[in-house]
Amino acid sequence: MTQRETYDAIVVGSGITGGWAAKELTERGLRTLMLEAGGPITAADFVEHVPSHQMKFRGYGDPEVMRRDHPIQRECYACDEVGHKFFVNDNDNPYTTPDDAPFRFFRGRQVGGRSITWGRQVYRWSDLDFEANAKDGNGNDWPVRYADIAPWYSHVEKFIGITGSKENLAQLPDGEFLPPMEMTVVERHAREKILAAFGGERVMTIGRAAILTQAHNGRAACHYCGPCERGCATFSYFSSIGSTLPAAQATGRLTLRPNSVVAEVLYDPTTSRARGVRVIDAVTMQDVEYNARVVFLCASTIESVRLLLNSKSATFPEGLGNSSGLLGRYVMDHHYGSGASGDMPGFLDKRTIGSRPNGIYIARFRNVKTPHKDFLRGYGMQGGSSRSGWGRGGNMPGYGESFKRELIDGLGGWRLSASGWGETLPNAANRITLNPTVKDKWGIPAAHLDVRWRENERAMDADMQVGVAEMLEAAGCTNVRTHASRNPPGHCIHEMGGARMSRTPAEGVLNQWNQSWDVKNLFVTDGAAMASCACQNPSITYMAFTARAVAHAVDEMKRGAL
Amino acid sequence: MKRRDLLRAAGAATVLSLLPRDAEAAWSRILSGYRVAEGLTPAQRALVTGIADTIIPRTDTPGASDVGVTEWVDLIVAEYYSADVRTPFVDGLDAIDAQVRASRGRAFAELGADAQREVVASLDAPADRRTPEARAYSRLKSLVVHGYFTSERVQRDVLHTQMFHDRFQGAADMPARRTP
Repeated sequence: MTQRETYDAIVVGSGITGGWAAKELTERGLRTLMLEAGGPITAADFVEHVPSHQMKFRGYGDPEVMRRDHPIQRECYACDEVGHKFFVNDNDNPYTTPDDAPFRFFRGRQVGGRSITWGRQVYRWSDLDFEANAKDGNGNDWPVRYADIAPWYSHVEKFIGITGSKENLAQLPDGEFLPPMEMTVVERHAREKILAAFGGERVMTIGRAAILTQAHNGRAACHYCGPCERGCATFSYFSSIGSTLPAAQATGRLTLRPNSVVAEVLYDPTTSRARGVRVIDAVTMQDVEYNARVVFLCASTIESVRLLLNSKSATFPEGLGNSSGLLGRYVMDHHYGSGASGDMPGFLDKRTIGSRPNGIYIARFRNVKTPHKDFLRGYGMQGGSSRSGWGRGGNMPGYGESFKRELIDGLGGWRLSASGWGETLPNAANRITLNPTVKDKWGIPAAHLDVRWRENERAMDADMQVGVAEMLEAAGCTNVRTHASRNPPGHCIHEMGGARMSRTPAEGVLNQWNQSWDVKNLFVTDGAAMASCACQNPSITYMAFTARAVAHAVDEMKRGAL
Repeated sequence: MKRRDLLRAAGAATVLSLLPRDAEAAWSRILSGYRVAEGLTPAQRALVTGIADTIIPRTDTPGASDVGVTEWVDLIVAEYYSADVRTPFVDGLDAIDAQVRASRGRAFAELGADAQREVVASLDAPADRRTPEARAYSRLKSLVVHGYFTSERVQRDVLHTQMFHDRFQGAADMPARRTP
């Protein structure tokens, strides 16, 4: 039997964007229902302080569990021996791809979503990014520019806390930074050498991360234990369950319903509005219906698009809000991982203390001032330096007392490495559709993903290796070796697009407020809304767009337009 | 709440309540002599123990077998490796065993310390790294190092690993050497 309850707002998804939607909606006075497909999580579920000797396989992972439950998820570095519980069971959550176009879809279904396991790197986009489509003709012109989103970046950064160092670069705008983490002695040296060698064009800075270097908004500073991807008992990095959801709950207006798999958004043709959603209770498998004046989809790029494609009606037989026919198209991910590494001679009197959950970042320099002959757009680089410690022992020649002493007391030499994170061109053929036969555990049609790297991405990958190698050599590294990435689309977990924002209804699915062109009380504020993917890690941009969209929606409701 | 207290509370809560119970139980069973199926044969165990203690001998700090490295290798062979990795590994160990018996007239574990070091010296710098023996030794050495340095005693008493830090230091001075 179907039950019905009514709220002011429904938010689908409790991760990075869902948390922001809930916080902003409830703080602006709306009674909000948050629906999360996975189960509840508390700080007691976190496993970041479990040492290797308390893990049966000492961190290698339980091969039987991985083979049985996580044959796809296991390819993500964070799906490890104790952290795999924050990743979905692949058997319950199938998706399909063409045989010749593999895609890695890494997912977490729990309260907090992937904000538990995310990489925490945050970089503002700039007008180099928001103007790119218009300038080179790939994709559609963004309906926003940096000036529209800049105050919202500040809004979210001030709340969540970002560590970083100001560099005054137009292509990588500075944010509201807490004190930066330290670069290593080798990174400081390399930064200066690279600045000098490339005329100031290539800037290596400390990573900008949603991690607290000092107490902030009631959360303790980082204690540098290392494996953030397993959770954080002190909530020192930003996650929705440590930051935005407590803020939303403090208003008394949030109802959080875990184990709620949203099967479809319900459309009312008499009002041309979304009426609410149909939920399948993940435990009882019963249908439940919830109604609201406004619906926010924050389920992640692929899941939000899949949900819209599954929301069919007489008015929208090809998916809700799909009058343009573009729903599911122009899907992107960052192609990443090509780069180089080298040995840095010297500095053997220095070491690091603490596990820095952050690295270095090299701001985009290709196609910033002068066009590159081989490809459009560009890439940023992420990396770091360290001494290898006892971990080098397996490959270090020797045995016996001197070998043992060297591994205990010596740390080995320094290595410096970096890899590129590249922008992917928007392409209509990179697409999410529904598989006509495969369904998930709850009977909902699975996504079929056809996303491919193409000529521009391949040319950029080749340049990443050259770009890093020449910087390492300029920095004084020896034994420089390049590495080519074989990561398929999806592997970067920066999937974007599929319900892109646009200037006109014919060009996209959402307007400049992340609002459906066709269904005025329906908003999509996760990565699905992106019209291009820049080369920066995208989560902070989703957060800013989400807060901005809520402010617009509530203003519209107050003046009676919604 | 002071920062130190907060960290202590977080650490204690984590260590006490978040320890994966199954893993702890399984590890205790292994350390108390529980034998897993398809693990090392007695001859392979003796060989592994002998080589491990030659790579990382007991000094003023524990040696490899003192901290359960043999049991760790046994676990990996029995429950971690798939057959395509396990078979060449144990075959390679058997080949080492046979070679030692043929050239020295007895098993590795029964050799004197100098002879054991001579055998490991030749395995550690082989003329051909692609032989089954060389591959098995290389794999074993990695397991020995990982098992030794991730053990509780070595982490706590030898490396003095600290989980919590007030800040990250990127250019700290190297400490005085800890071992004589």
